[in-house]
Amino acid sequence: MAGFNGEASWFCCGNAWGPCASTGHGACGTCNSGSFQHAWPNTSDACLAITRPDRCGFTGMTRRTCGFRHATTNLCNGKRVVTSIADCGPQTDLFCGEQACCGGTCAANRLLDLTPAAFSAIASLSAGLIPANIDVG
Amino acid sequence: MTTTMDRRSLLTRAALGATGLVAASAMGSLAPEAAFAAQSPDAGQPDPNFAEGVITGRNQDLLQVQGSDGRLHRIQLTGVTSVWKLRPTTIDQARIGDGLYARGVLLPDGILAAEAIWVNIVNLTVAITAIGRNGVQFDHHGQKVVGHVQSGTTAAVYNGTPAVSDLSMLKVGRHAQVIGAWRPGTNEIDIATIYTSN
Repeated sequence: MAGFNGEASWFCCGNAWGPCASTGHGACGTCNSGSFQHAWPNTSDACLAITRPDRCGFTGMTRRTCGFRHATTNLCNGKRVVTSIADCGPQTDLFCGEQACCGGTCAANRLLDLTPAAFSAIASLSAGLIPANIDVG
Repeated sequence: MTTTMDRRSLLTRAALGATGLVAASAMGSLAPEAAFAAQSPDAGQPDPNFAEGVITGRNQDLLQVQGSDGRLHRIQLTGVTSVWKLRPTTIDQARIGDGLYARGVLLPDGILAAEAIWVNIVNLTVAITAIGRNGVQFDHHGQKVVGHVQSGTTAAVYNGTPAVSDLSMLKVGRHAQVIGAWRPGTNEIDIATIYTSN
């Protein structure tokens, strides 16, 4: 499996209920919770200035823009989902060094957020955070 | 080994009331972790086997859901549907006014036969602004959110360590991610798991 390992979580976007109701359609203007999409920490200079994966020692994250596809594989169960970039995020530097593990498999640093539709295709939403492999989709 | 067609077939029959709990054992695990799309959409596209919105009506185990995007969904709960509402629970806990996400199989008649639903679930990246005896207050993108601690359920994960019930290491000013259950019509949630930052 190529790509790199990191933590993946989920976020709501687009029209929504509850505390998510104030969210918009993301940096790309296309993000919706029910679509197979994700947020990526390096979609622009402005985005990278917020997410700062380099502060966690994760350098060389490739610049990818709206619509680029990534494949995310849940390292706990091998399930895989292919999604396209619709927003900037997650804010990696807020959780530097954090690890998500299952069994003896761990991955560190938050590098990708999936929409609820995409995350629930590979894990339970209640899990919140999973170790994942991230590759070009 | 259970195939996609097995799950579709069993869910369809369960939705029609032809099976029920017997189907549960045939399908293997029915925890939310086991609810996966029958067919994946293309990247960037809506998933027809997924729905979100607010429950506006309930006729026995058929939920009417108003999607946030305006679409109407009919979601059939069955004996094999797993339900999360702060914790794993039973299908009777899905009530009018609740928000939800649902994953299942879209049947030809437009009804989503639910493998799993997550009721009122939220996943918030927040800053901790106050800590009290029975709760924690958060700043969520400038909005105040009140988090209630539920004894026996609420757990904390400190920088990737195993979840514990001890919340004493939470600190005001730290960032956190909170999985919880929204209390409809309020800015309050019940906390399931709080992940804290460095």
